[in-house]
Amino acid sequence: MADVMTESEADVAVVGGGPAGLHAALVLARGGLSVVLLDESDTLGGQYYKRRAEQLTAAFGDFRPRGTELIRQVRDSGVDCRTGTLVWGAEDGGRTLFTSDVRTGALGRINTRATLVATGAYERSLPFPGWTLPGVVTPGFALHLATMDRVPVGQRVVLAGTGPFLLPVACALLEVGARIEALVELNHPYRPGISSIGGALRQPARLAEAARYLLTLARHGVRVEQGSRVLAAHGDTQVTAVDIGHEDGGVWQLETDALCVGFGFRPSTELPRLLGCDTELDPTGTEQLPVVDADGATSVDGLYVAGDCAGIAGVHAAGVRGQLAAHAILRRLAPERARVRVADLRRRRARALDRFAELADRLYPLPTTADIPDATQVCRCEGVSAGEIREAAATGWNDLHGTKAATRAGMGPCQGRECGHIVAALAGRGEGTAECFAARMPIRPLPMAATIEGQEVQ
Amino acid sequence: MTQPDVVVIGAGILGASAAFHLAERGYRVVVLERGAPNREGSGTTAGNLHIQAIHTRRPGQEVPVDSARLLPLQRRASDHWSQIEERLGADVELRRGGGFMVAETADQEEELREKHEWERRAGIPTEVLTGDEARKQLPLLSDRVRAASWCSLDGYANPLLITPAYLAAARRLGVEVHAFTPVTGIQQVGDDYKVLSGDRSWTAPVVVNVAGPWITEISALAGIQIRMSPVAIQMHVTVRVPPVMHHLVQHIGEGMSVKQVSAGNLLIGGGWPAAALDMAGRSTVSVPSMAGNLAQAGRILPFLGELRLLRMWAGPLAATPDEMPVIGEVPGHPGFFVAGGTYAFTLAPVWGDTLARQIAGEAPADPVDDLGPGRLLHDDATTPVSP
Repeated sequence: MADVMTESEADVAVVGGGPAGLHAALVLARGGLSVVLLDESDTLGGQYYKRRAEQLTAAFGDFRPRGTELIRQVRDSGVDCRTGTLVWGAEDGGRTLFTSDVRTGALGRINTRATLVATGAYERSLPFPGWTLPGVVTPGFALHLATMDRVPVGQRVVLAGTGPFLLPVACALLEVGARIEALVELNHPYRPGISSIGGALRQPARLAEAARYLLTLARHGVRVEQGSRVLAAHGDTQVTAVDIGHEDGGVWQLETDALCVGFGFRPSTELPRLLGCDTELDPTGTEQLPVVDADGATSVDGLYVAGDCAGIAGVHAAGVRGQLAAHAILRRLAPERARVRVADLRRRRARALDRFAELADRLYPLPTTADIPDATQVCRCEGVSAGEIREAAATGWNDLHGTKAATRAGMGPCQGRECGHIVAALAGRGEGTAECFAARMPIRPLPMAATIEGQEVQ
Repeated sequence: MTQPDVVVIGAGILGASAAFHLAERGYRVVVLERGAPNREGSGTTAGNLHIQAIHTRRPGQEVPVDSARLLPLQRRASDHWSQIEERLGADVELRRGGGFMVAETADQEEELREKHEWERRAGIPTEVLTGDEARKQLPLLSDRVRAASWCSLDGYANPLLITPAYLAAARRLGVEVHAFTPVTGIQQVGDDYKVLSGDRSWTAPVVVNVAGPWITEISALAGIQIRMSPVAIQMHVTVRVPPVMHHLVQHIGEGMSVKQVSAGNLLIGGGWPAAALDMAGRSTVSVPSMAGNLAQAGRILPFLGELRLLRMWAGPLAATPDEMPVIGEVPGHPGFFVAGGTYAFTLAPVWGDTLARQIAGEAPADPVDDLGPGRLLHDDATTPVSP
């Protein structure tokens, strides 16, 4: 195998070049450690500090200059930045990482003394009739189009789901000229008539941000429907209309050419789970989170987790948590250079940000999966409906793995990343123990050419 | 049903098949399973129906299989599998597309010819083709294939479907299946065995231990010391592609099996060892085994290099120290039967039928006395359990 894998070494590997990974890599490199920063995308920044293509930057300006500056600092600090590099597997507590070059498929193995996982989060989608129609997208996708390419996902857009993330997406869509037919929020986080967010708060800055978004929406006359949800999307070749239901029983229809639906974010925990670290149920009760201490150390010695993959808390918390984990790794590998006082300050800030995340969890609870109609497709990759999953679960002792085996739900290219949490909820025995599909190598589909002697990697 | 005729321990393919064949004969059967049915080796295996001889050793396998000995049983299994979907009233994605066993060297080709002679004697139709003849049938084979034996009876059944299908058919015949019911004790009560799971118990004159890698542990509960040597092996599966290959492709010199399943994915295996056997959870895959297995499969079927590996997994293989199957009543322990070991997937219908016949006091369709558990008993293992 040595001949098919390129070997390399570093003191620390940081997996994920978003806010948590960037902040961590900077602290580690400035502390004198050799750091390799790995990211599947061809640019650093992750979702929040996403980079605009060169011509678009020239035309529209820099997107989030703070990210540009952070990435520059990281590169200048001597971090070995490997973009376009997929980490598809790991063993030995994360001290061995297996990589694949996204463009060439070439395989690599990195040996480290400690590893920080900062792989961020996915958007949470929940199935409803019509959710697989073209034109039904996630808010994150709409935001990407609007901010990177300055393209509205549709001329008329319905935004729906739950969570504070819908607000900046709505504003970004308005900025690129889309008309927002409605913002359909499942819960009641916003005070009626007043542009403010409910709840008692210790994070004025974050709340002011939300209030600003709400003001913008009000100025554009955007209809905000709370206590409402999408019941179904309709259309032949693409979405043309959306049924909205209010919790009081009222149902109405909106015409639209794009529907963005999202229910917040789900941590991307495959690597720590693959490495066998202890997990616990997250506040939504639907995800297994790695158990970490205040510095992001997991139960696996030498393996750290920071950012949204350790629990959804947003960009500010991600940066601080990344720094905290980096300080902990410095104390471990280079104790003479560790700065205890800085870590203490970061810890205090992280606690304050955590409280804001807890508030978000309270304000935006998730809907039940119980009312997903039987006919609705849940696993898009393999085309498996909610009814098929329920039936298999009932005849198969409600065993998640048996349900997967019987229906093929979760066996497609995404390996259950999208649907696993729903399959688990539908198959569950209702004991409040969210099972999930086991994390397995390869974490993403892996080009095989590189393993085959004499084959040209394409 | 606390007083069945037979308690079957293990709801893998052998337990499911045994329960079905026993129930067909009118026996009242209870199946006890420590976890979910079909969760271990039976659900993680490759699903190959090996009708031509498998002469090959798994990577790391120390003792060779006596391939010639197994051929009459494989011949019998072939007949069973031909009727299985009809018999169970279920689609198990059965495919009998035939299979190639390829050779790359002169020595390997010689082995193919030797094997062909045993197959001829056992009544299994095979022919040895030149590399070009084989490539004419399956142009995906690389130029490195020097010769190949061809058997039209080789095939595949979906391991995720066959055991549930057996269990469903068995339940229709009145069999009780208790999942998540680990056996915690076996006591001898007169001529019967009392099988305990926590505070529940079932008493029957016959116990069938088909617990796969746990055969040793379950037997020990009854005071029987059976030597097994379970290992963990791993499988690899690619993304789905349109139908390109309906044959099973194996290698005479090395552990390798490749076929395309009904859903379109290509399954690549060959008994390559996983990192370790974890009896308490899921065994971990080995990256060197992955690299080795894929490299070898890609050497024979270069088109695999254009695909992506979707998933890999490891599962237990209930091997015996002599690599031969084990089936029959334990000497000195009337009514205590064991079945397991090599090629349990292919042989499952035969073993279900054989156990049912043995329990009914009939002769099996093919003699299996030489495969009985007596050879695997520890010397001090014949002490009966005190009542």
